[in-house]
Amino acid sequence: MKTPKPAVPFYFGSPGRELFGCFHEPSAQDLRRCTVLICQPMGHEYINSHRALRQLAVRLAEAGFPVLRFDYSGCGDSYGEAEQSSLSRWLEDISTAVAQLRALTGTLQVCVIGLRLGGTLAAISGSRAENFRSLVLWEPVTNGRNYLKELLALQKEILRFRPRPKLSKKSQAYMEILGFPLSRLLHAQLEELDLNMMAERAAERVLIVQNATAKDDGDNLKNHLIQTRAHVDHQTVQAPKIWLPTSDGSLLVPAQVLQSMVSWLCSVSS
Amino acid sequence: MKEEAVQFGEAGSLVGIVTSGAHANSNQPAVLLLNPGIVHHTGPGRIYVKIARALAAQGFTVLRFDFSGIGDSAVRLDNRRFEESSVDETRAAMSFLHATRGCDRFILMGGCSGAAVSLETAECDRRVVGVIAINFPARADQEGSESHRNHSHYYWNFALRDLKSWRKLLTGQSDYRKIGRAVAQSAKRSLFGRSQESASDQGFRAKLRELAARQTHLTFMCSKGDPLLEDLRQAGGKDFRQLCAQRRVACEIISGTDHTFSSLSDQERLVEAVLRRASVAASVAKLKVQTPELTSSPAGALSSHDRQGFVTG
Repeated sequence: MKTPKPAVPFYFGSPGRELFGCFHEPSAQDLRRCTVLICQPMGHEYINSHRALRQLAVRLAEAGFPVLRFDYSGCGDSYGEAEQSSLSRWLEDISTAVAQLRALTGTLQVCVIGLRLGGTLAAISGSRAENFRSLVLWEPVTNGRNYLKELLALQKEILRFRPRPKLSKKSQAYMEILGFPLSRLLHAQLEELDLNMMAERAAERVLIVQNATAKDDGDNLKNHLIQTRAHVDHQTVQAPKIWLPTSDGSLLVPAQVLQSMVSWLCSVSS
Repeated sequence: MKEEAVQFGEAGSLVGIVTSGAHANSNQPAVLLLNPGIVHHTGPGRIYVKIARALAAQGFTVLRFDFSGIGDSAVRLDNRRFEESSVDETRAAMSFLHATRGCDRFILMGGCSGAAVSLETAECDRRVVGVIAINFPARADQEGSESHRNHSHYYWNFALRDLKSWRKLLTGQSDYRKIGRAVAQSAKRSLFGRSQESASDQGFRAKLRELAARQTHLTFMCSKGDPLLEDLRQAGGKDFRQLCAQRRVACEIISGTDHTFSSLSDQERLVEAVLRRASVAASVAKLKVQTPELTSSPAGALSSHDRQGFVTG
């Protein structure tokens, strides 16, 4: 049995805005020339999917990819407060992480896997500045307005079965989703977000992984990305929505979905 | 405030973050934050990050790390039970802080299973001078679905006194199936629940007595909206009540909060409570070192507010 090397945790980025990352070294015998950056979702979705994304990184490293997982500013272990979060800041963080990954590995080819808002941010980052070799959009948030509606509905549902929270010192200034603040700026930026309006190509090759229930959404995105001259594959899966809270607090890992993404990256990467 | 990513344990397989302030006080005990269930070291709602930063601002050195197989730490390849490996790994974390930062006394803190590991480790390692057990699962073997228990607890303790809930019930907006299940479970628990203390209850009480006798500063911090509070009272029984009355154990109940402190106001109040209790634990530990004869009970050095056995916030 192969023992994966322990991930190396570290901080990177400019002083005062250090980002936390975990670097997974590849298995030496199968070294690939493409590196992988994993972009996490935000808020409670980040907490609930952390376990699955770590296991994804381990599988990718076993398949020979150097992998970096990292936390955006104000999220996870990175510096800053969640109240200061914005999409523009997180896009800068992705560029910082890409530069760090290239510096660590000396490899220019970068593939990105993003879950939920992480996929959306990765796509925007690819279309604006970075030249990604390939991109996996795992259940991406295609429309920010709908995403906000989903978040508010979830918050309402959670409040049904708990004592009514007292007014927070900060609650006047921020919306709140499952214990995470949503700044006015982030809210406004999410309202404007529409992945189907993205003008430039995000990556040469794109894989969209979506649940069968979101097939129409995925088809629209696929058609749009093809118009940007990307080569697009679309996989529909039957898997639980791992980013949502579960009734017993368990964290789900969809092994088949993870393996399918690793296989796709292997097939399109040298 | 400084945060540093660290690796320790066998082959550096355990991953954590050490947070320390600009003026870290080497006389203060260091604080360890232990995983709540399988949530990684940021905690639900990033609450562990907030607690660590607030404690670091008060001069504490704080390590929040992942047990093997959780979060960023590697999986163990042996067959040790979590109950054993988690205690070993907590002790390894203390040794790591001793070797790298000279810390020799520790306050252990954690939510849910993190609270259980804190108590277990305190019992077998005298470097532990304080425990802050948040929503301690005193009866982890309790039968019944967790979500049903939560719903049942919510209906009996909150919805019954809430006009809005009654309006929903009378206008057909409630989930009657959920209510039915919750009522059935409550009835089952009261009819067929434990009438006598179990072996695990006895073990818990013995542990409390031993740690109190050893003058380890024990605080149980409980969410009012969490069914685990009732379990704690039942499992602790008379011993728990007596120790609280003698101010040798503190139980702080935070009203209007749930198991995971899932709102920003819950989190603010938890951080305030943790800072207060950690500061008390640190002052007791300091006094113990300076004048052991004055600290016949861990709360001996406390102010009248801190001496309260049961505090509701």
